Amino acid sequence: MTRLRFLLTRLFRRSQLDHEMDEELQFHISARAEALEKTGLSPAEAQRAARLEFGAMERYKEAGREELAFHVWHNLQADIRYGLRMMRKAPGFAAVAVLTLALGIGANSGMFGIVYGLLYRPLPYPDEGRIAAVHLHFSPQNNPRGNLSLADFADWKAGNTTFEQVAIYARSRFTLTGSGEAERVAGAAVTADYFSILSIKPMIGRTFQPGDDAAAAPTRVVISESLWQRRFGRADDAIGRVIEVDGNPATIIGVVRRGYDFPLPNIELWQNVRIKVTRRGPFFFQGLGRLGPGVTLERAQAETNLIGRNIERANPGVYSNMTMPVEPLRNYLVGNLRPALFTMLAFVMAVLLIATVNIANLLLARGSTRAREMAVRLSLGAGRRRLVQQLLTESVLLALAGAAAGWLLAFAGIRAFRAFNPADLPLTYQVHLDWTVLAFTIVISVAAGILFGIVPALQSARADLQTPLKEGGRSGSGAAGHHRMRSTLVVVEVAVSFVLLVSAGLLLRSFMLLQKVDVGVNVPPANVLTMVVTPKATTDPKNPSADSPVTRAFYQRAVENLGRLPGVQYAAISDSLPPDLESDDDTFSIAGRPWSDQEFPSTTLPRISPDYFRALGVPLVRGRFFTPSDTAESQPVVIISASLARRYFPHSDPIGQKIQASQPGGNTSPFMDVVGVVGDVKYWGMAMDARPAYYVPFTQNLSPTSFLVVRSSNPAAALAPIIEREIHAVDKDAVVRRLLTMEDLLSESVAEPRFRTLLLTGLGALALGLAAVGIYGVIAYSVTQRTQEIGIRMALGAQRSHVLGMVMRHGALLVAIGLGIGLLGSLAAARALSRFLFAIGPGDPLAFALGLILLACVGLAAALLPALRATRIDPLVALRYE
Amino acid sequence: MRKPAELLPGTLDLLILKALSLGPLHGYSLLLRIEQISGGSLLVEQGALYPRLYRLEEQGLLASEWSTTESNRRARFYQLTRDGEKRLRQETESWNRVASAMSAALRARPEEV
Repeated sequence: MTRLRFLLTRLFRRSQLDHEMDEELQFHISARAEALEKTGLSPAEAQRAARLEFGAMERYKEAGREELAFHVWHNLQADIRYGLRMMRKAPGFAAVAVLTLALGIGANSGMFGIVYGLLYRPLPYPDEGRIAAVHLHFSPQNNPRGNLSLADFADWKAGNTTFEQVAIYARSRFTLTGSGEAERVAGAAVTADYFSILSIKPMIGRTFQPGDDAAAAPTRVVISESLWQRRFGRADDAIGRVIEVDGNPATIIGVVRRGYDFPLPNIELWQNVRIKVTRRGPFFFQGLGRLGPGVTLERAQAETNLIGRNIERANPGVYSNMTMPVEPLRNYLVGNLRPALFTMLAFVMAVLLIATVNIANLLLARGSTRAREMAVRLSLGAGRRRLVQQLLTESVLLALAGAAAGWLLAFAGIRAFRAFNPADLPLTYQVHLDWTVLAFTIVISVAAGILFGIVPALQSARADLQTPLKEGGRSGSGAAGHHRMRSTLVVVEVAVSFVLLVSAGLLLRSFMLLQKVDVGVNVPPANVLTMVVTPKATTDPKNPSADSPVTRAFYQRAVENLGRLPGVQYAAISDSLPPDLESDDDTFSIAGRPWSDQEFPSTTLPRISPDYFRALGVPLVRGRFFTPSDTAESQPVVIISASLARRYFPHSDPIGQKIQASQPGGNTSPFMDVVGVVGDVKYWGMAMDARPAYYVPFTQNLSPTSFLVVRSSNPAAALAPIIEREIHAVDKDAVVRRLLTMEDLLSESVAEPRFRTLLLTGLGALALGLAAVGIYGVIAYSVTQRTQEIGIRMALGAQRSHVLGMVMRHGALLVAIGLGIGLLGSLAAARALSRFLFAIGPGDPLAFALGLILLACVGLAAALLPALRATRIDPLVALRYE
Repeated sequence: MRKPAELLPGTLDLLILKALSLGPLHGYSLLLRIEQISGGSLLVEQGALYPRLYRLEEQGLLASEWSTTESNRRARFYQLTRDGEKRLRQETESWNRVASAMSAALRARPEEV
């Protein structure tokens, strides 16, 4: 404790302590002088003798200060102040360095946050290494992570001896109605042991226990803290309350804390599965188990495979080559991302490395301008070690400033990454900036600062004292070797930039072409509003083939009422939407024309209301649209797409032909009359050709959840509140979500290519910036080195333009060599990208030309600044240099 | 008087602790006391004393405070803390052990080997 007090006193009352030390030593000397006086010396002589005896005061004072250990802190403070002053004096340089570092360090922080969060941060489940994900793998589906059915689970549970506990779960989104607004939440249907496998304890109430998944158990749910807060205000009496989940009453039995991303990010509700085995399928669930004590994964895997074989034998014809793969939970969640993540991490680290080399180059160039300052300080007695220490402090300061700015970049990057989450990765709670990432950031910043600062610092401190003090002069020996190395590095930077720019260019061109694709909609897309509508009285979502007259009536009334609203031209429902929202596909057969064994036509099967085509502006080619007289009782009818007509009725009129939908195991579905042919519409994504489609009226064939489509003569987004109100007037508990215009849907459809393009464009820009900085640094340094030579040339009559040309040629050479090397790399990269390219080939000349021109211009511009400075060299000043 | 022996490293600390165990002193008189108790046969560099004193104080073996001398001048006085007393005891024991071992070894005669 006293130690601490000492330390604090020394930090904050340094001058007082210094003063005291002075006084103490003085006292010692005068005491000795007194003693000497008694031996006969005069007072003055005694003083002198005492002082000589004592020895070099300053040295002991310095040693004393070292013992008091505050000089370290004092020096650091002084260094930091000095460093900040130097940065203010050269703001351009500091800005470039800080910006470069911000990009490099920020990218690393963000990437580290993602890698650490996904691969290493402990999941919120204690002992996660003992938790395993279990799936089915059988032919012909051949999905290595296939789902289980209730029957499979029952068989597994019966035969299991290696897992302590087993459970199954199914991801779902539940509609909550009842106490409050209708909303959809992420959730899962789980069996009784699910919570104990994951060791999730309740905050209040309880979680599921054995018995909660019995066939006769009532519907029970566990909710998350966030849901509890939002919908019940954290009321204690929420336990036991009944809410409506998907239209059915469910009792809340417990609340668990927020923070879980499994099996869906930000999951808020768990419902009990009732295990009632009536048939082998459906295959909805995924398995989870906690390994028993001492059981290895291999043993568990062997047993599950055995169970799988037994199931196969007991159910001939259903499964073949059945295994039950077991893998650690973390592996299942993110295992296949490992190589991609590490590749990206390696890439951003390489970028940071290039950035530090760049800045080292810049510092070396600047070092020669500070040579005199260093020489003066050295001659005044500053230790070389102190000097190096101070220069390193400046470098680390730069790096830390870059890290602070980069932190913002990392934050934005992680936000963007979380928003773009196509695979339901556990991103909400696992990936975020925290102390671990901060620690990593500080470590790499300091390391980077030392890395790029050490060589320039050592070089500056090694400077000989005579030459700089004699009116300027150059420092730095071994210039030729260093220069070649720096030039090589810059050439590599240029090559890498070219590769990235060409890749970005290819993706950009491809993306722009993709956006212009015609999906078959001939109305301005902003004028069409779509939404997903689920009426309250919906059917059992696990068994969607049934349909209910209540649902049908709801949709009918909704469409009618909406069609009458002012501002609405047409309103319709459909269960599929362009460009990529296909709900169902099917095969069909034509009456009187059986297929050969090879033919297996696959078509889209939208179920629509009569005004659907009018709402989307799909043209009628032959025949008629559906009308309100096509009801459940009238003759089954069908409308086919133009491509279906072309392919299967090339020489005859399709109107009046009969088509039959398919059905597994014998066909009893009715034959439908073809009454119309319409233009092609894409339901399978913008990059693919439109598949053949046939449409049926929803009155004859309904899905429990459909899209509602509304067309207006003006941008339709403004109609959203009116439409919602109207729908709730028909059914107050209907859930309306994803109100998006067709424009939004088109944009969403290309979200992944857009992300890829943006990422690569960003990286290309980053590399370009670094290359520019690199070129600038090398050229600037070489100009400084050749100052004398340039001065001589100009004194001998060379024009400024000649000098300019000389320097620019050097820069152009670097760029040209870099481009040449980069060309090979870009061709290879383009080929690797070819599967992401739409409508253009990997040799697209426009992208290459664009990259070339951009890089050449930027490179030459970077060389221009030092070249201009070279032309302004005054030959008289230059010649005075030694 | 024989030429004063140079101090072995580490022994200055022990001397300081011992000298102060006989009562609190300021730097100069501490020096005199050390010369006194060693019979003048140990050489102590004057200026090196103070850094040592600061280090021992930082380690918690000494405590210092400003006071006045008999001649009414201001000086910093050092004294042993309880930790310092304990360290003095330990180091003295240790030193004696080493010294007697060394003496025995150096007295060894050829026939004893």
